[in-house]
Amino acid sequence: MDQSTLSPAMIEARAISKHFNTEAGRVDLFTDLDVTIARGESLAVIGRSGAGKSTLLSLLAGLDTPSSGRVSIDGQAIETLDDRQRAELRARKISFIFQSFHLLPELTALDNVRLPLEIRGAADPERDARHWLSEVGLADRTDHYPAQLSGGEQQRVAIARAFATRPGLLFADEPTGNLDEDTGAHIIDQLFRLNAQEGTTLILITHDAELAARCQRRLRLHNGTLTEA
Amino acid sequence: MTLLPRLALRQLRSQLRTTEWRALLLATWIAITLTTLLTLLGDRLERGLMRESANLLGADLVLSSSRPLDPARLEQLNVSGIEQTQVVQFPSMISSPDNAEHPPMLVSVRAADAPYPLRGEIETLPAHDSPLPASGEAWVEARVLQQLGLKIGDALQLGYSTFRISAELISSPDRGSGFRSFSPHVLINRAELKATGVLAPGSRANFRLLMAGSPEQISALEAQLRPNLADHERLLALRTDQPLTGDALGNALAYLKLAALTALLLSALTILLSLRRFGQKQYTRSALLLNLGLSPAQLLRIYLYQLLIAWAVLALLGLATAAVLDTLLQGWLSNLLPQRLPDPAALSWLSGAALGLVMLIMLGLPPILSLARVPVAHLLRGDTPPQDLRARALLVACLALLALTLFMVLKAPLAALILLVLLVIGGLAFGFIAQALLQKAAEPLARKLMLGRLLRLRLRQQRKWHRLQSAVIVLLLTLLAVVWVSRADLLTEWRAKFPTDTPNYFVINIQPWQRSDLDTFLHDNSIDSTLYPMIRGRLTLLNGKPIRPQLTPDQLGDNTLRRELNLSWMATKPEHNELLAGQWWSSTPEQPQISVEQDMMEDLGLKLGDQLGFDIGGQSVEARITSIRGVQWTSFRPNFYVIFSPGALENYPSTWITSFRLDGPRKSLATEMLQEFPSLTLVDIDQLLGQLATWLKRLGDSSAMILGLTLVCGLILMAVTLLQALEQRRFEAALIQTLGASAEQTRRLDLLEFLLLGLVCGVLASLSAELTLAGLHLELLHVDPKLHPGLWLILPMLSSLFFVVTGFLIRRPLQLDQCYRLLKAQS
Ligand SMILES: Nc1ncnc2c1ncn2[C@@H]1O[C@H](COP(=O)(O)OP(=O)(O)OP(=O)(O)O)[C@@H](O)[C@H]1O
Ligand SMILES: [Mg+2]
Repeated sequence: MDQSTLSPAMIEARAISKHFNTEAGRVDLFTDLDVTIARGESLAVIGRSGAGKSTLLSLLAGLDTPSSGRVSIDGQAIETLDDRQRAELRARKISFIFQSFHLLPELTALDNVRLPLEIRGAADPERDARHWLSEVGLADRTDHYPAQLSGGEQQRVAIARAFATRPGLLFADEPTGNLDEDTGAHIIDQLFRLNAQEGTTLILITHDAELAARCQRRLRLHNGTLTEA
Repeated sequence: MTLLPRLALRQLRSQLRTTEWRALLLATWIAITLTTLLTLLGDRLERGLMRESANLLGADLVLSSSRPLDPARLEQLNVSGIEQTQVVQFPSMISSPDNAEHPPMLVSVRAADAPYPLRGEIETLPAHDSPLPASGEAWVEARVLQQLGLKIGDALQLGYSTFRISAELISSPDRGSGFRSFSPHVLINRAELKATGVLAPGSRANFRLLMAGSPEQISALEAQLRPNLADHERLLALRTDQPLTGDALGNALAYLKLAALTALLLSALTILLSLRRFGQKQYTRSALLLNLGLSPAQLLRIYLYQLLIAWAVLALLGLATAAVLDTLLQGWLSNLLPQRLPDPAALSWLSGAALGLVMLIMLGLPPILSLARVPVAHLLRGDTPPQDLRARALLVACLALLALTLFMVLKAPLAALILLVLLVIGGLAFGFIAQALLQKAAEPLARKLMLGRLLRLRLRQQRKWHRLQSAVIVLLLTLLAVVWVSRADLLTEWRAKFPTDTPNYFVINIQPWQRSDLDTFLHDNSIDSTLYPMIRGRLTLLNGKPIRPQLTPDQLGDNTLRRELNLSWMATKPEHNELLAGQWWSSTPEQPQISVEQDMMEDLGLKLGDQLGFDIGGQSVEARITSIRGVQWTSFRPNFYVIFSPGALENYPSTWITSFRLDGPRKSLATEMLQEFPSLTLVDIDQLLGQLATWLKRLGDSSAMILGLTLVCGLILMAVTLLQALEQRRFEAALIQTLGASAEQTRRLDLLEFLLLGLVCGVLASLSAELTLAGLHLELLHVDPKLHPGLWLILPMLSSLFFVVTGFLIRRPLQLDQCYRLLKAQS
C-alpha cells in the first residue's frame, strides 16, 4: 500500500483562489476557499450560474491550477506533479460525467464504454464493458450508436463508462441538466446505487435540489465564498 | 488491429460525411494526380529529349552550318578514331506524281550519308535492313502519307527526281533544330541529292557533320573547334546544348508546370482551411479523449494515423487517375513528338504521392499539435479554443517548407516564385477591389430595400471571406478566359490582321539562270510578284574601321551583328517599304549607296552618311548610307535590312527570292510551277502556319486539361471558404429570424449576397482578362487589341451562378433541425 491511500481525506484544498485576467480587468472568482472531502463521501456543490462551480470542480479534479493555494488528491499535492503525472493520476483515480454526455458518435455504446478500459490496457475490456452496461440496464443496447439512443440512455452509457475504470473519485457536472425530470431521477438512482456499491467519492454540481439532497453534504458557492448548506 | 489505428479509422470513416473532409480529400486527390501526371510527362520528355539526347542528336558532336561544309574544315576534322557522316536538311515542297489532285506538301528533307545515324536508331515500318533508303527510294513520316494520300510503294516527286516510298519513318534521331524539326520529314540518301536539282550554290539549307567517338576524343575535338567557329557555324554537343525540340517542349512543360503550381497552391489552401475547420471541430473531442485517459502523444498518433490512412487511399486513387490521364496526354502528343517517349523512371510514379504526404503532414501537423494541448477542463467550461500562437508560428514554418517542396518538385523555382508573387499581389488587389465594390454596390440597395440594410451588415461581417473568395474566383476566371480566348483566337487574329493580298507562298533558292523563265511563268499566269536578288554578307566595318570596337556591349548582342545579313540590291525602292529619311538613288550611282532598315539604324546607332563595310564571301564591299527605310517584317514579302544601289553586288553569286498570293483554284498554279521548275524551293505559308497551329492546339488541349483540374481545385476551395463562415452565418440567420425576418427573407439575403458577389467578381475577371489579352495582342502579336463583349456577359453570369449554387449547396444544413439543436446547445 502506498502512503497516499493512508490519507483520510480524498481531496484537500487549502486557501485556494482563482482569478482571471480578462480584457475588462481582473476578475476574482473566489479567494481563500478551504474544502476537505472524505474518502467515500458524496458532496453536492450548488450555486447560481456563473458562481464558479465548474471552475472549482476543475481545480479539485486537478484539471486546472489555482491562482493561489494548494490542492491535494488522495494525498498527492497537485502542484508538485507535471502534466504527465497529473494525467496519470486522473487515469488511475478519476472519472467525469458531463452535462452533455460527450460520447464518441462513431462508436457503439459498448465501444464507448470499452474505450477507457482499452486505453488503460485492461485484461478483458469487452467483458467489463458489457458488465457495466448491464449495470445501467442497457445490456440489450450494446450495439447502438449514440445517435440511436435517447438522452437518458446516452447519459447511462456515460455513467457506465465513468464507473468502468473503477475510479476512486467521480466528478459530475450537472449530470441531469439536459434531461427531463423523470429520466433525471432514474439516472440519479443509478448513480447513487453504483456509488454506494463501489464506495466511490462523488462530487457533483447541480441545480436540482432533489439531487443535492441525496448527497451527504452540500456546499453553496456564492459571491466567492463557500458555505455548508 | 491495435487501439489507436482502429480509433483513427473509425474517426476517419465518420468524418467522411463532413464537407471539410470531402473537400480535403478531393483537393489532395487532385494534387496527387496532377503532380504525378506532370512528373511522368516531365520525366518522359527529359529522358526522351535531354538525357538521351545522344540518340536525338544522332551523334556525340554535330557541326551545323548554313553553308556547305568547308573542305578544309572537313580535312581538319578527319581525325582517326572519330566516326563521321554528313547530312543536309532543307525545306521543300514535294508532290505525288500519281495523285495530282493533292496539292504539294511542305516537308523537311534530310539527305544523309551512311552510316547514319551515328547514335540512336532509325525506326521504320516495315523494318529496314539497310541503314538508309536505297537509291531511288525515300522514307517518309506518316503525315506525308496522310496528306498526299500515299502508301508504301507509291512514288513522290522531289525536284527533278521521283522516289519510291519504301518505308514509313516511325522515329529517327537528328531531326534538326527549330521549326524544321516539327515539319513532316522525308529521308533520302545524300547521293541522290544532286539529281533532284533542289540545292544549288547559295541555297538555304542546313549542312551537318555528325561525329562520334570516345568521350576524350570528342571533348578534345570540341575544345579545338569551339573557339574558331565561323558565323554560319554552330556546334551541338551533348553536354552543352539542349538540342532540337528540347527548347520548345521545355517551354511548354514549364507552362504546364506553372498551371499545375496554381492548382497545387489552391489545393494547399483548401487543405489548410479544411484542416483548420477540422481542428476547431475536434476541440471538444480531443478534450474528451484526453479525459478518458489518452496521453497527448497517443492523441497525436490517432490524428496522424487518420491523415496517413486518408493519404494511402488517395495516393492509390491519384496514381490510378494519373495513369489514365497520362495515357490520354500521350495520345494527344504522340503525333507531334519527334520520337516515341520512353517510359518514365519508376520513381516518378511516386512523386505525387510523396508530395501529397508532405502537404498533408505539413498542413496537418499544426492543428493536430494544438489539439494535443487542449485542456481537459474545456469539457467543464465549454469555452472556445484560445488563440494558439505556437500553432501559428508552426504553421508559418510548415507553409514555408511546403512552398520549398513545391518549387523543388516543379523544378522551375524562379518562374514559380514570380508566379507566386504575381498571384499573391493580383489576389490581394482583386480581393480588396472586389470587397470595396461590393460595399459600394450595397449602398443604393440599402436605401431602397429592407434587405439591403441587412446585406450591408452581412457584407461587413463577411468581408474577410469575400476578399479571399473574390481573389480566387477572379484569378481563376481570368486564367480560364485568357486560355479559352487565346487558344483559338491568337493565331486566327494574327492572320486576320494581314491584308487579303498578303502573300501565302515564298519561293527561295531561285538560281540566276532560272530567273527570266520564272518571271515569264509568273507574268503569263498573271501572278503579281517581284523577284529580288539575295546575297549573304556580314557587317564588319563602320566608317572604314572594324565595327565591333565602336559599339557598346548591348549593341554587340544585336541580331544584325550576330549572323549574316540578307543583302539585296535594286534600282527602285520596294513598294511595301517606306522611305523615312534620306533619298533613294535615281540611277546607278558612282559610289555604292545603301538604304538601311530603321530599327537596325537605331540599334547600332548609325546615321545617314555613315559608311558600312560588308564581308561577302571573303571580299569586302563598302557603301554609304543614303536613306532609311521602314520595313514591316510581318508583311510576308521579301524584306532586307540592307539594300544596295545597283552596280555594287551584281558580280557576287546570288540567289533570288519572291513571294506571291494564290487563292482557291489558283493554288494549283503552285503545283504547275513545281512541275515546270522542280528545283525551286516553294514554301507554302498556309501549310507552315497550319503545322504551327496544330502544335498550338495540342498544347492548348493539354494545358486545358490541367487548367480544368485547377478550376476544380478553385471550386472546392470556394466551397471550403463558404463553409468556414457557416457557423457565423447560421447564427446570424437564426438571430435575424428571431428578430422577425422570415426564413424566406434570410434565404433572399443569401441569394442577394451571392449574386452581388458573383457579379462583381465576373466584371473584375472580364476586365482583367481583357487587359491580359490586350497585353498579349500588343506584345506578342503586335495586333491592335479588341474587346470581347462575350466575356463581359459570360463571366459575370458564370461566377454568379457558381456562387449561388455552391452557396446554396452549403447553405442547406441551415434548414435542418440539427442546426437549431446546435444553436440551443451553444447558447
Ligand atoms: N478562462 C476564463 N477566463 C475568464 N473568465 C472565465 C474563464 N473561465 C471561467 N470564467 C468565468 O468565471 C465565471 C464562472 O464560470 P463557471 O463556468 O465556473 O460557472 P458555473 O458556476 O459553472 O456556471 P453554470 O452554472 O452556468 O455552469 C464565469 O463568469 C465565467 O465567465
Ligand atoms: Mg458550470
